[in-house]
Amino acid sequence: METIHLENSRGRPKAPNPEQVELKFSDQAVQELEALLTHYPDKKSAILPTLWIAQREYGGYLPPEAIAEVAVRLQRSYAEIEGVATFYTMYHVGHPVGRHLIEVCTCLTCQVCGAYRIAERLKAKLGIDFGETTEDGVFTLEEVECLDACDRAPVLQVSDAYIGPVDEAEIDALIEKLRSDPGSGTIRLADEIVKAQLHANEQRDIR
Amino acid sequence: MPELKLLLKHKARTLDEYRRIGGYAAFQKALAMDRQAVIDEIKKSGLRGRGGAGFPTWIKWNGIPKQKTKRHYVLCNADEGEPGTFKDKELMESTPHQVIEGMMIAGWATQADVGYIYIRAEFMDCARAVKSAIDEAYAEGLLGKNIQGTGWDFDLHVHLGAGSYECGEESAMMSSLMGERGMPRLKAPHAPLPTIAGLWDSPTLINNVETFACAPHIIQNGGDWYAAMGASTKNSRGTKIFSVSGHVNKPGNYEIEFGTKLSDLLELAGGIKGGALKACIPGGSSVPILNAESVAKAVIGYEEIGEVGSMVGSGGCIFFNEHTCIVALMWRTAKFYMRESCGKCTPCREGTDWLFQIHDRIIKGGGRPEDINLLKQICAQIDGRSFCGLGDAAAWPIVAALKVFPHEYEYFIQHGKSIVDTPQSKLMFPYAEPVPV
Repeated sequence: METIHLENSRGRPKAPNPEQVELKFSDQAVQELEALLTHYPDKKSAILPTLWIAQREYGGYLPPEAIAEVAVRLQRSYAEIEGVATFYTMYHVGHPVGRHLIEVCTCLTCQVCGAYRIAERLKAKLGIDFGETTEDGVFTLEEVECLDACDRAPVLQVSDAYIGPVDEAEIDALIEKLRSDPGSGTIRLADEIVKAQLHANEQRDIR
Repeated sequence: MPELKLLLKHKARTLDEYRRIGGYAAFQKALAMDRQAVIDEIKKSGLRGRGGAGFPTWIKWNGIPKQKTKRHYVLCNADEGEPGTFKDKELMESTPHQVIEGMMIAGWATQADVGYIYIRAEFMDCARAVKSAIDEAYAEGLLGKNIQGTGWDFDLHVHLGAGSYECGEESAMMSSLMGERGMPRLKAPHAPLPTIAGLWDSPTLINNVETFACAPHIIQNGGDWYAAMGASTKNSRGTKIFSVSGHVNKPGNYEIEFGTKLSDLLELAGGIKGGALKACIPGGSSVPILNAESVAKAVIGYEEIGEVGSMVGSGGCIFFNEHTCIVALMWRTAKFYMRESCGKCTPCREGTDWLFQIHDRIIKGGGRPEDINLLKQICAQIDGRSFCGLGDAAAWPIVAALKVFPHEYEYFIQHGKSIVDTPQSKLMFPYAEPVPV
């Protein structure tokens, strides 16, 4: 009898048992969430910002435990939170991404300005294809749609910064520079996104 | 015609710098005015939405109920995502207070309680600039409770997206802000307008960043003053920022008066680079493509540019030189819409996928003679039948390309390769030979 395999390494991870959800947000994260909740008339509207907090707290991606924690904290269902998170390309649901996420824009202007050459160069240099992570977990390479910095085409997004126009010759140096950066750009981006939504007085109150 | 800088005239990131160029004077003036008088000035100005649709701004402002029974909201669409456009990015980065002041004037005119500025999360430089501008405005009492002793309370929050083109569509943006997948909502005439039932079923005013940024100038100088700009056109008033990119010598944002020629815009951007002009997408990837002949004739105005078969759109103007393969360009456009379709309605979800599949087999050399008609058919099935305008937007560029450059498709299908066979044109294809390390 032939076996049908329903699981693969990029598949949908199982939701944790509701009774076993552990709340792992730091005190700072909890206070940030409380401040953000005051911006909206209901808890549901805080789903996107809370997912950003979770992405930072859980190391740059959203494992099932993170989705579950957001669901518990906002009193929504796991399925709803997972459904929202999977819609948006910047949430990394279920599977970790590298410490540095390199996103190559290949849309129209970047396309005609040589973005595919840049992409090929990055793929060859890192030994990975789009959507893959290097074995050491340092880099993930993604092809993204228009970053709206067409005056700087071809443009890359690396964490919270745009880099462009990129020259093929600069790629090696960029990779080395990122490799020697021990911090996680992915976590830094999520952190910046959370902070940009908080008012100065709210930030002062958060320890 | 040269540039006419209004919104891009100054760079003023801080409140001090913004005050020095006359910032917030318009807001003070508006506070002393009757609310309806503010809306009337906007009406006189002839300002039309700068996000892409060109809807008269005053109708939205005037559509918010005058008798307040619920909370009112102001929402700024800063989810700039249209390929080729980067004007809102510069507006927010260089003069964030200008946008905030526009939102405050709109908030005053529509008795709003809370404003949100929905910025795409990729734009961190914008988000930081806007956040710190809002902080400064709160510190000076321009935002918050009982503003300037008027008894009016107005809060302004930054809300960041998480990566989705669809969220730039106003009803999808509301879905996203309310914590849902960024899918469009039912629209008039089947549902009330957002001005009646928008965010959380309350009256909501939604405008683009550039539209809000125009408001302080209109209030400060008067609607008639604003309407005098672009008077040579049928119904386009004021200035418009065009983000010029592609094969030009000086890509960037250029602010021009309506009535300027498209060829003048190209000249402002330093002219075409690397070969003769072949084509232009004047208003972002959704608008129909023009050939060089049309570019020479085109005058910039909502109605005027329609005469050559295209649209002002969001102002993302991309010029292409002779080494551009139109089929490969449309392949990439189709891929964009396929990846960004939210999946809510069948025509767009299925149609964008088919448009991509057919383009993909053509550029891989496996095109079939019937593909041209098939593409036309699919486009006709999407256009006007999708749930939101972004479905139409996926069909228009391809319909136009098939009309303006039919021989490129025919050649590609017949010979299995592009009619443009130059080393530069090869750059457009992802299936080129691997790059040596």
